[in-house]
Amino acid sequence: MRPLRPLLLLAALLASSSCLAEILIVTSSRSAPIELTREQAEKLYLGRSTTLSDGTPVSLVDLPNGPVRDEFYFKLTGKNPWQIQAYWSRLVFTGRAFPPKEARTLAEARQWLTDTPNLIGYLDRNEPTQGLRILLRLP
Amino acid sequence: MRPIAAPLVALTLAASLLNSARAADAPSPFSLSGFGTIGAVRTDKDARIFRSSTEQESGARTNFDLSVDSVLGLQASLALGNAIDLTVQSVVRKGVADSYDPLLTWGFLRFQATPEVVVRAGRMRTPFFMYSDSVNLNYANPWVRPPVEVYSLNPFADLNGVDALYRTPIGATDLELHLFGGKSTLDVRHGSAKLQAIRGAKAALSVSGLTIQAGYARSNLSVQWGDPLFSMLNAQLMATGNEHIAQDLSGNDSKASFLSAGFQYDSDRLLLIGEYARRSVDRYTVSSAGWYLTSGYRFGALTPYLTVARQSQTAPVTSSSSGIAQVDSLLSLFNATRNKPQRSTAIGLRWDATRNVAIKTQLERIQPGPGGLGIFLSDNIRDDINPGGPVHVLSISADFVF
Repeated sequence: MRPLRPLLLLAALLASSSCLAEILIVTSSRSAPIELTREQAEKLYLGRSTTLSDGTPVSLVDLPNGPVRDEFYFKLTGKNPWQIQAYWSRLVFTGRAFPPKEARTLAEARQWLTDTPNLIGYLDRNEPTQGLRILLRLP
Repeated sequence: MRPIAAPLVALTLAASLLNSARAADAPSPFSLSGFGTIGAVRTDKDARIFRSSTEQESGARTNFDLSVDSVLGLQASLALGNAIDLTVQSVVRKGVADSYDPLLTWGFLRFQATPEVVVRAGRMRTPFFMYSDSVNLNYANPWVRPPVEVYSLNPFADLNGVDALYRTPIGATDLELHLFGGKSTLDVRHGSAKLQAIRGAKAALSVSGLTIQAGYARSNLSVQWGDPLFSMLNAQLMATGNEHIAQDLSGNDSKASFLSAGFQYDSDRLLLIGEYARRSVDRYTVSSAGWYLTSGYRFGALTPYLTVARQSQTAPVTSSSSGIAQVDSLLSLFNATRNKPQRSTAIGLRWDATRNVAIKTQLERIQPGPGGLGIFLSDNIRDDINPGGPVHVLSISADFVF
């Protein structure tokens, strides 16, 4: 737990919503061809589904806490970082769902995503995407 | 309850072996997480002892007390494949008879039968009310603690059994059906209680921030009281030829039902929560109903909220009377000590201080009664019949998840 001050967090959140670029939802290019709608992506990242619409089970990756992660959740679900934390705590500690696996670094997330089929994650648009397939763009 | 530490340790060991055997290029199948609350609470009346649950036997008076609301929970999960996983959760908090023994709050195997159906077996929470499965998880709620007017209606927290969850979209709405069955035991003061053949169902509909849900459960109920008041009353009933009344106080032959209906609306800013719940029993304890309404509004990291709540008795332990004044007076005292009626108004503020920590303060005005002391204890058992005026309760807490 980092001693992040709330005002900084708020400032980062406000700044991020105006400055950050598009977010890409990606998977390994080793995954079988899959289709992901925005609606399905939201269900996956809100723990309401663990499969694609065709029934294929998938796993999820979260980036470490930070502006890209906050931006991703806000764009996909409309929830701020506190709402997401409270929402997922309830799912996890009531045994309803497993949370996305949190990578320690962006590099680790990228490695997982490149190497593991049927794993879904997200990146800032400016990140390189070799070895990855773009499933969805969140403008 | 010490052996609970063993499965947690075993699971952690198994997982670390698994982890070291795997390359680090894929996420680990094991996860360990936790939650907790450090809470301080005090009242403005030394003669009233405030508790957060009816199982606690001591609590807060006019000095800040850390034992009432503080909680620590630890959870380990292990994926055993695409469709099967294991979850173990242990919670430490002051509970039955003021014990701090670790409780096994969850310990189940979960099987994803189809994309829509999950089946779980083992130790779970009795899902009678809207937030029954997260009463220890204050971080996820706006309040310092779930409103006792509803949540004290069911002291049976553990469900040993099976359940099935079915979730499917209906247009833009999400439907969740929850079926469950099993049994539950509880140590009460100097005694024990059991729910057997629990069977119940819950349904929830969610659409863009609004969730409405309703649940109903039935079960067989056994209660063996052992407190001095019960023993004295029981002896007098037997001595005066009132065995039939004694049979209404304690035994293995009662039926209980639990009903609840509630809603939660959570938009960007506005938060509205309401719930009504009812416990109906044939005998052994009182039948009661409770409700609460909470509204909150988010200003960035600050969420002020207001809650009004009430619990009242709908039927006494027994409708019989002995016709002997002294025995009947003991009988009404017995009823009053099983009855937890009260009404309260609370104002509070939640501050999301960091991503993982929420600081809360809450001030409540609780009017206990009529016919019982509500959530309070008193040194004088007669106060259960004459609960007196309102009590103010001030709480400060820090909730965290990790």
